[in-house]
This record gives sequence, structure tokens and C-alpha cells, in this order.
Amino acid sequence: MDNSETIAAAIVGYVANTRDPETINKVYRLYDSITVEDVKTKANEYFTDNGLVVVSLSHDPLPEVASTTGSIDEIVQADMQTAPKITTLLKRGDSPIINFRIVFNAGPADDPKGKEGLAKLTANMITNAGSKSMKYEEIQKALYPMAAGIGNQVDKEMTVFQATTHKDNLNAFYEIVSQQLLNPGWDADDFKRVKTNLINAIKVNLRENNDEELGKEVLYEMIYKNHPYGHLNSGHVAALEKLTLDDVKEFYAKNYTRANLVLGMAGNFPDEFLAKISKDLSQLPEGSTNGTATELQVPEKINGFEAEIIQKETRSTAVSFGFPIEVTRSHPDFPALWLVRSYFGEHRSSNSHLYQQIREIRGMNYGDYAYIEYFPRGMFQSHPDANLGRQQQIFQVWIRPLETIQNAHFATRVAMYELNKLITEGMTEEDFEATRNFLLKFVNILTKTQDRQLGYSLDSRYYGIDEFTKFIDAELKKLTVKDVNRVIKKHLQDKNIKFAFITKDAEDLKNRLINNTTSPMTYLAEKSAELLEEDKIIQDYQLNFKADKVKIRLVEEVFVN
Amino acid sequence: MKKFLIWILALMFLTSGGLMASNDDTAESKIFPYKYHMKDLENGLRVIIIPTDYPNIIALQIPVQTGSRNEIEPGKSGFAHFFEHIMFRGTEKYSADEYGEILKNAGADQNAYTTDDRTVYHITFSKDDLETVLKLEADRFQNLKYSVEDFKTESKAVLGEYNKNSANPVSKLIEVQRNAAFQKHTYKHTTMGFLKDIEDMPNQFDYSLKFFDRYYRPEKVVIILSGDVKPEETFKLVEKYWGDWKRGSYSVEVPTEPKPGGPVYEHVEWKSPTLPWISVAFHGPAFSETKNDMTTMDIIQFTTFSQSSAIYQKLVVKEQKVDQFFPYFPDRQDPYLLTVAARVKNIADIWYVRDEILKTFASLSL
Repeated sequence: MDNSETIAAAIVGYVANTRDPETINKVYRLYDSITVEDVKTKANEYFTDNGLVVVSLSHDPLPEVASTTGSIDEIVQADMQTAPKITTLLKRGDSPIINFRIVFNAGPADDPKGKEGLAKLTANMITNAGSKSMKYEEIQKALYPMAAGIGNQVDKEMTVFQATTHKDNLNAFYEIVSQQLLNPGWDADDFKRVKTNLINAIKVNLRENNDEELGKEVLYEMIYKNHPYGHLNSGHVAALEKLTLDDVKEFYAKNYTRANLVLGMAGNFPDEFLAKISKDLSQLPEGSTNGTATELQVPEKINGFEAEIIQKETRSTAVSFGFPIEVTRSHPDFPALWLVRSYFGEHRSSNSHLYQQIREIRGMNYGDYAYIEYFPRGMFQSHPDANLGRQQQIFQVWIRPLETIQNAHFATRVAMYELNKLITEGMTEEDFEATRNFLLKFVNILTKTQDRQLGYSLDSRYYGIDEFTKFIDAELKKLTVKDVNRVIKKHLQDKNIKFAFITKDAEDLKNRLINNTTSPMTYLAEKSAELLEEDKIIQDYQLNFKADKVKIRLVEEVFVN
Repeated sequence: MKKFLIWILALMFLTSGGLMASNDDTAESKIFPYKYHMKDLENGLRVIIIPTDYPNIIALQIPVQTGSRNEIEPGKSGFAHFFEHIMFRGTEKYSADEYGEILKNAGADQNAYTTDDRTVYHITFSKDDLETVLKLEADRFQNLKYSVEDFKTESKAVLGEYNKNSANPVSKLIEVQRNAAFQKHTYKHTTMGFLKDIEDMPNQFDYSLKFFDRYYRPEKVVIILSGDVKPEETFKLVEKYWGDWKRGSYSVEVPTEPKPGGPVYEHVEWKSPTLPWISVAFHGPAFSETKNDMTTMDIIQFTTFSQSSAIYQKLVVKEQKVDQFFPYFPDRQDPYLLTVAARVKNIADIWYVRDEILKTFASLSL
């Protein structure tokens, strides 16, 4: 409107209708308020066969046709019927925050031999790269003002794409990230960057800069050697370096299927949005449920004590040990064993028994915990992430780094001593009650956010159990201390265990282990007589390491081949 | 016009001042941000004055709230449009030639148009001629006078216009479409009118006077003046020349179109060679400043059927089966049609194109 004529002309149509110049402003405010839902509602109302008018015009005769008007109703019906169903898990609520957890039951357990890391690389090429319609930097720019993004977590049998956004941004956000997931760009430059970052994450972040997580991951590789769970989720460097975009595309096509998919959404999302995302995801190939789901082999039997000592330039010595158990959340003994684990080593809790024995009383390290489920990034988090569902788990103890090798030896002995005590003596009624009371409340903290609840619900579905909080509440209340001690004896043992150590002087540690060298403990503060008596036993506590079962490896070789 | 406005982004100016200016929230942005001054004369004539920064020029728009939808009497379609012609046929004071001469000397730019819902007279002129133009326009709106001969001659010109349009297949297509789509509502006939009514126009002199008497009345007219104008002075001038115009009392009851009862099909056999056309339409909503039905349709027209849309790209650019493709979702006072039309290069593709359009409409429901 850069002249008087057009200014007058701008309102004449509206004024002719209502005699009110404000009509134009009212109409434009209406435009502002239109939503995707409005479009769909109005379309359903007006675009029907009832109101259809078709007119043709020609000089030549028209070709034969079954129906001259055609039918829009038939198209709409057909589309609604043939849209394949996808599995959904929905938690509707009032929150304007919408959480997504799009789960695929596929992961590194599906990495073909020699392509360790393919699952993780593929997931990263979805979340950290562009789509067919938008370059990665355009995506980042567009998402920035929405303070939203899409991330991935990849574990052996579960890959989850997570996103959180405010309802107001839902459609704009979805338009962008849905393309990343459903039409990945597979750009060569993105691939180079993503692959390099993944390799560096292994070499630098994990191997070089994080002894604790390194120790745990080495332990898992040891326990699951020659097993589909046997390599680090991120892969091995040599394999990653050889991976190509075609590998990624193939993995995507084979594993990102409807058979593997569960769409998890939480919050106050509109029906129309659910219909849209369901329709979009239903375009993924049908697929079939993965082989690993039914054919998973058991990990190799452990004979006695086995250790890997990873030699690296590091100030202190990290210790992890564990062994496979047959208990997962699907197993009837899970609630009891979960309670035991909490008593023995609740994550980051000063109530943990091991924590009490090693840190509180003896002042030896930062913390000592026990687990019966995989808990990556434990050093960074108070609570475990959801959607790490697995068919097989291990019992695991994590002893945080010790000052000297002698102390590391001593602390390992303490842990084994306490484990032995737990197995032979079981838990007291008092400890059982206290732990149960704690857990009945704590389970609500584990699931305190909408996103967590969604994640736990997806896992409950995977394991075939009730909503986690309900499940734990019901099951714990049924337990007695007798049940718990029975479960201890059934699933825990201290004879056949694998150990992972991270230390500077691997030879020294190895010698001490295989020679059962005494490891006396000294303190700065005064200690009770009972403790000192106990120490005398522990310092020589037999750990059955044989020379041929203790392997030293250089850190540079870990996660490479 | 609508498309032009869509590109205007909200500006943060207030609309204020004047005797009857709006008092909307100042916090909200307005797409039409100009300060206007509004006044209703005693006879019901509404006057809107919009001073602008563009010097020397004044634009006058006179919408009359009468269009072809007002033609409810059988045999009388086409009169709103006809009247647009007749309004140039002179008054007692100024003959058609004198009127034309004055405006020519004033270097004025003038035209008029009729639609289903209204008739609009517009003229752009130099600010020095404000009084002259207001006087002239007031005169013909109030004192239009034409002879039977002039009337008959003009009716022939209207028939000529019909014949000119009849060479265009799209005109015929729309004519047939409306006739098939509407049973009761006056949108059944086009603004041109039914041919038989146009042919009968020369015999309808008396009716034309009745038409003028009913509809060319101040309560059905708005005067919009935009440009190098001073509101107070201008209001005085309008009052001077238009103030004595007598208010009317006629109100029209346009019949309501019943709910459509199922798909309708028509075919037009075109006598001369042409590429075939296919149009797919749905009965749609009426224009509203409060309900979001027609505004939603506007969005749909723009996003789903414009030249950047998927269907256009597919049919016109990629597959090249269609060489003309346009949506037509006009604002109408009563529920009208939402049409998508395509000219098909090969008649064998006509049903395919129809189905592609149907599929595109269908996709919005899913």
C-alpha cells in the first residue's frame, strides 16, 4: 500500500460487506489464530461428496469413466483404512510440554560383524545431520528459538529418539525433526563429521578422559565376549573407520521398521497431531521383529576370577567387577533383587552398604555402588535413563577410583568380603525394612518427570510388567526378608567373576592379584578396634586370580578392533 | 487484492482519531494501520476519510451494497451489472458527454465493476477537483436520468459484453457450474445474468427505475476518500452535496440455498477446438469477520493450490499434463463455491487430473 489508491482499495471489499473499516483487521487476526487442527476440521466439514461440483468442458468426446464426479469420500475412507497401524504408547495429560520417545527395538546387538558402531552411527546421522529438505545448519538455526531438539540414546536392543517441545511449537518443531527421522539427508559432509565425532568420543572422551565409565564398558565387553552385546555401543574404531553411507542406509532400511517401532508421546498433544504423526510413521517399511529378540545366546560361562587390567597414564585406579544374572524386570525375582541391590549399593547414595564400608568408614574413595541393570553415564547422573531395556543383565559393582594400587587391592577385597557376607548371612530384618521403606518412596522420584514416566512406561511394556511405580509398590509390599535372602542365594555368587581395572602400573597390580599380596590399610584418623580387626582379615582376603586369567592391555588398544 | 494484503506484515501503529474511529486494543498490531476518520450522515450515508502522505491525489471509492445476488425476481438477473453501465448515462444537470468531459479535463482515472455482492465506483483525481468530483458523483447517484432510447442502446452494449465473454470457455464453465451448483440462491446466475434476461433487458425500462429506487440509497452506500484530504473540510463537502439524499427503506430477502445433497456433474460441449477444462468445486462457507471458516479456506487456497504447491508442481511442472491451473475461493456474503480448475493438455488425462485435485482436497482431511 504505497499510494492512496491502493489504500482505499484495500478496504473497499470489506467495507462493502460490513460498512466497517475494522473488518480487515478482524479478518487478519482470524488468520493469525488458524491452526493445523482448524484446517483439518474445516476440510472434513466442507470437502465431502455431498458438496462436490464437477464441471468438464471439451470440444472432443470425453474418455469413458466409471464415475463422472469421482468421489472424495472414497479417497478419505481408503486412506484411513489402509494406513498401517503403528504401535503407540501415549500418556495424555494437561502439560503443555510434549515429550517424544520414539523407540526402535534395534541397536548395537544388530551391528553386523566387522561393523561395530553401525547402529550408533546411524542414529547420529539422524539426530546430528540434515534431512532431505533441510541442511543441518538450517535445522539448528530453526530449532534454536524453540529451545528444542532431537537426541538419541542407543543401547543393545533399544534405540530411542527423544524430543521435548512446548505445545505452541509442536507443529513447527515436528515439521523439522520428522524429516530428520523419516527422510534423512545422508549428506556426505554430515557423514564425515558425525563419524569423526563418534570415533573421537571413543578415543578421547571415553578412553582418555573417563576412567570410571571406561572401566564399566571394558567389564561389559569382557562379560559379553563373542556375544551380540560384546562391543561398546558406540562401536570400535577400526570398524567405524570402514563404515560407509551405504552401510548406514542399509541399517536404517533394515531396522527402522514398523515391526520395531513404538511411538511414545506424553503431554497435551491434540488428536490431530497424533493422527498426523501416526500416519507419517506408518510409512516406514513393515519389517519383521529382529532376530536378536528371540535368539539371544547366553554369555560365556565364567570360570573363577578373570581380570583385564587396562594400563594408562592415570592418577588413580578404577575398579569394576560383575557377572551375568538371569534376572531382568520380566523375572519374578526382580523386585527382591532390586531391593538387595539398593541395600548393597544404591547409586550415589550414602545409605549404600558398600559406600558405608569403603567410603564412610574407611574414607577410601568417592563412592561404591552395585547394579543389576545397565546404567551408562552413572557418574554424571543421579538416576538412570529409561529405555535401556535388555534381555540380559549383569550384577555389577562399581568402586570409584582409589589413591594407590594397594588401596585398590584392599577396596576390591572389601567389596568381595562384603559380597560374601551378603550371600552367606543375607540381610537383617531391620535393613530389609529400611531399604523397602526407602524404595517405596524413591521409586516415585525415579519417575518424577513426565518424560521419565513415559520412558518407564515404554520399558514396562518391553518387559511385560505393570507401570513401574505400581509394580514396585505392589511387589515390594509382598516381600519378606526370607524371600530376599532366598533370592540372594539364588542369583548372587562370589566364585566366578570378571574384573576390570584401570591403572598406571598394570604389572604391579597384576602381581599383587595373582600372588594374593597382602594389602594393609592405614588411616589418618583413629578407627575402632572392630574395624581394625576386620581389616586384618580383609587385607589378606583371598581373590582367586591366576596368572593366565589376568590380562594386561594398553588403553590405546581398547575399543579399536 | 487479497494476495496483495497477505504480503503486508503487521505494523504497530494505532488507529485513532476522528469522530467515529475504532477503539480496538492499542496493544494489538493492525494489518490496516491508517488513521481514518469516519462519520455517518443523517440519511445513513457512511463517509470514511483516510488522509495519507501522498500529496496531490485523492482516491474515491463508492461501494454500493448491491450485487447480482440481489436479483431475486425471475427474469431480472443482470440488473446490478446493467446498472453499473447505466450510471454513466447522464443526469438532469450533466449529460453523459458533459460528465465524461469534466472528468477528462480533470485528468481523472475512473472505472466501476460489479460482483455478486456489490457494485463499486472508483475514481482517482487531483485534490483541486475534490469539490467537482463530489458534486458530480452526488448528482448521478441521486439524480440519474436516462431516456428509453439510451436505456435500450446500453442494453445492447451489455449483450455485446456477454458475447465478448462467451468466447472464453472459462466464462461458460463458471456459468454452467453456478447454475448446476445452486438451486435457490441467486448465485445461480452470474453477474452478467442469464442470457435470456439480458436479451429481454430492452423491455425492462420500468424495472430499471425500480432497481435504482431500491438500491441506490445512502444507507446502502459508503464513500471512501483516501489521499491529500483534510477531514473536516471534506466532511463538509460531502454533507453539502450528499446530505439531502433521501434514505431508502427497501430490504431484500435473498433465498437461502439448502444444504447440498450430493455430487453434481455437468459437461460443457464447446463448439470450437479448445483444450479441455476440468473444475472441481465444493460448496464452501460465507465470508465472516468472526468465524474462522472462510479464513481457513483462504489459507488452504494459498498453501495447497498456489503455484508453489505440490499439486501445481506435479501437474504443471513435472508431469506437464496441465498448462493452466488455478484455485478460485472468493469471499462471498453468502456461502459460495471453492473451485480448483485445470486446463488439460491431453483429454485422456482429464479424469486423472480431476482425481489428483480430489486427492489433494482429501489429504487435508487426514
